[in-house]
Amino acid sequence: MRFRRLILTFIIIVPLLTLLAYGFFRDPRYIPSPIVGRPAPQFTLTLFNGEKLNLADLRGKVVFVNFWASWCPPCLAEAKELEGTWRELKDRDVVFVGVQIQDTEKNGRAFVDEFKITYPNGFDATSKIAIDYGVWGIPESFFIDPDGRITYKHVGGLGPTIVAAKIGEAKQKIVSAKEGKGEYQPIR
Amino acid sequence: MQTVNFKLQNHRTTGNFNFCIFHFSLCNATTTLVLLLSLWALSAIAAAAQPDLEEQTRAIAAELRCPVCQNLSVADSPSELAQQMRALVQEQLQEGKSPEEIKKFFVSKYGDWVLLAPPKKGFSLLLWVLPYTAAFLGLVFVVFVTRRWVRRKQEVTPAAAAGTPEPGQSQRDFLLGEQARLDTELKEIEFDFQAGKLSEGDYDGLRRNLEAQAAAVGKRLDATPVFPPRSATARAPEKKDSAAGARPNKRWQLAAGGLFLLLFGLTLGVLLTKSLRPRASQDSITGDFLTGTPSGGGADALLAQGRAAFEQGNWSQAIETFKKVLASDPNQPEAHAYMGLILAQAGHLDGALTAFDRALAAAPNLSMALWGKGMVLYQTGGDPAEARRLLQKVSGLMPPGPEKEEVDKTIAQIAQGGNVKTPTAKPAPPSAQSAPAAGEKIEGVVDLDPKLKSKIDGQAVLFIIARSTSGAGGPPLAVKRIASPKFPVAYSLSAQDVMMQGTPFSGKVFLSARLDKDGNPTTKEPGNLAGDYKKNPVDVGSKKIDIVLEAAR
Repeated sequence: MRFRRLILTFIIIVPLLTLLAYGFFRDPRYIPSPIVGRPAPQFTLTLFNGEKLNLADLRGKVVFVNFWASWCPPCLAEAKELEGTWRELKDRDVVFVGVQIQDTEKNGRAFVDEFKITYPNGFDATSKIAIDYGVWGIPESFFIDPDGRITYKHVGGLGPTIVAAKIGEAKQKIVSAKEGKGEYQPIR
Repeated sequence: MQTVNFKLQNHRTTGNFNFCIFHFSLCNATTTLVLLLSLWALSAIAAAAQPDLEEQTRAIAAELRCPVCQNLSVADSPSELAQQMRALVQEQLQEGKSPEEIKKFFVSKYGDWVLLAPPKKGFSLLLWVLPYTAAFLGLVFVVFVTRRWVRRKQEVTPAAAAGTPEPGQSQRDFLLGEQARLDTELKEIEFDFQAGKLSEGDYDGLRRNLEAQAAAVGKRLDATPVFPPRSATARAPEKKDSAAGARPNKRWQLAAGGLFLLLFGLTLGVLLTKSLRPRASQDSITGDFLTGTPSGGGADALLAQGRAAFEQGNWSQAIETFKKVLASDPNQPEAHAYMGLILAQAGHLDGALTAFDRALAAAPNLSMALWGKGMVLYQTGGDPAEARRLLQKVSGLMPPGPEKEEVDKTIAQIAQGGNVKTPTAKPAPPSAQSAPAAGEKIEGVVDLDPKLKSKIDGQAVLFIIARSTSGAGGPPLAVKRIASPKFPVAYSLSAQDVMMQGTPFSGKVFLSARLDKDGNPTTKEPGNLAGDYKKNPVDVGSKKIDIVLEAAR
């Protein structure tokens, strides 16, 4: 009788405690993305140099899309390293695209000039592209394989090691099971 | 010199229509325009003409969770992303997408997470079912525990009332029997406890109770003579009756307890469901009695109160009421329009224009605001073309009748172009229809500090302000507005410039001047210039009251 009561108590209390612990340990701002493994939403971005970049034209190449803003500290932290990685990889069927969101174009141009960024960058004034990609934090990066499918999403700052590794996986069309997470800021 | 009297003269209520009669007397044309306007009817027409796109956008946005906020809907969030999401919802509605398609779009980007009410399928179904299941199980548990508790008490209670021997039984025999029974019960519960049928807490409680009863029985046994008096058994039947009477009482308590729990659960369920509904556009952002601060009778009731105060000419109450409406809904067009009418009435034409603009931003076809803005523009002569356009729009929205004819007459007058007032002239109170007495003015010159001459903005507006010496914090007594002034500016402040009609312009006043960059005296921009008269206060009637604008404040 006593044993049965103990078991009953555990059956009730343990799931409740587990639920509580889950609530405490998860990041309440984190929104799991449903678009990893799916075709990347198409977009046309007007670049700072006036040219238009159409994602569909990049089919057959690995595309690295990075959403950023000049006011976001992790974006400042990763800018130099992303440019360095781009210079290393640009001749290997890889395209980097920077999409500036929730900012002013003037600040965006100053940011690109300051970090001497040479890969294509443009301003998404209405955040339409960002919403299409389900962006909620900043920076957020997406890796798109040559078939135009998203293979990996990373919320937060990225280092050259992860970028190179995930570009390698995208080339082989390997979809990551989990999203990556680094230091990030919620967008405004 | 042209003067225009802009005065709210009379209000009548006829059936459902509230007519306001505005009286315009134009001295140069000696025309008196009596304009009857049905404000109530106009606002109703405007409401009917409003597209429901905004409402639809709101309804969909209210069901979407803002990705960058903590439990705020896209409709309620002031964040940049939420604004952009609202714009996207509106765009998709205009493209002809259904609300379901739009929600599906956002779910495909952010997952089910983006829906404020999770879908009733899969794992999310648990969220809907679990609270009700838990509530039901809890209720069953409470009923079960209460019943057991009551039963146990009932089992113990008759024994506790020991001392009631059966008829024909001696008190001593009865007490001996009780002692034996309590002994057996003590042994039984000990056995139950050892066997694990009773928890330690229950066992302790029962044991203490039985031991106390046994002690009481022992005490009475000691005090009972071996041969009891004959009358000792006479009271037994009554006592038994009262013990039996206690049982239905307990049942009633149990039933009442159960009923209370049921009602509590139902009320909680109903209130929770209500508090989780999406916020309607007329609801306060801080919620209602269920979800936050009380709204004090709702926006509609407040608006009605404001209208009533307005019609009675109770300006201060009307202002307070419309302010309350605007506090709960900063974009309520009708409240803005009424504020505009009140401000125009008080002579704050700039403030009135701002209020009408706000009303029109929220409801572009609100006739009251269109009419008010048109009349203010017409009256100040600021923009006759725009005044005419606005009044034509009002005329288009009005049903045929005397009100429409009056509006059309005004349009015709604007088209003739003869009755436009100079920008500096102010609406005059009724007492000032004739020229003000010589003693009722203050004259002088406003000039600039020579160092600041280069900093002057050509679009700036000069305000010459007279404040009462008694109340420091209240509104100014009189204000003169001079657009694009050329310094030095000669001015004359008279009873015509008094802000509240009927207030005498006499005695001592504090005089100051202010050069406002955006022409709105209620905002303070960097670069505004200001200056007080050095020898304040001034007697009304004084001349050569010169003010130098020197300090940017």
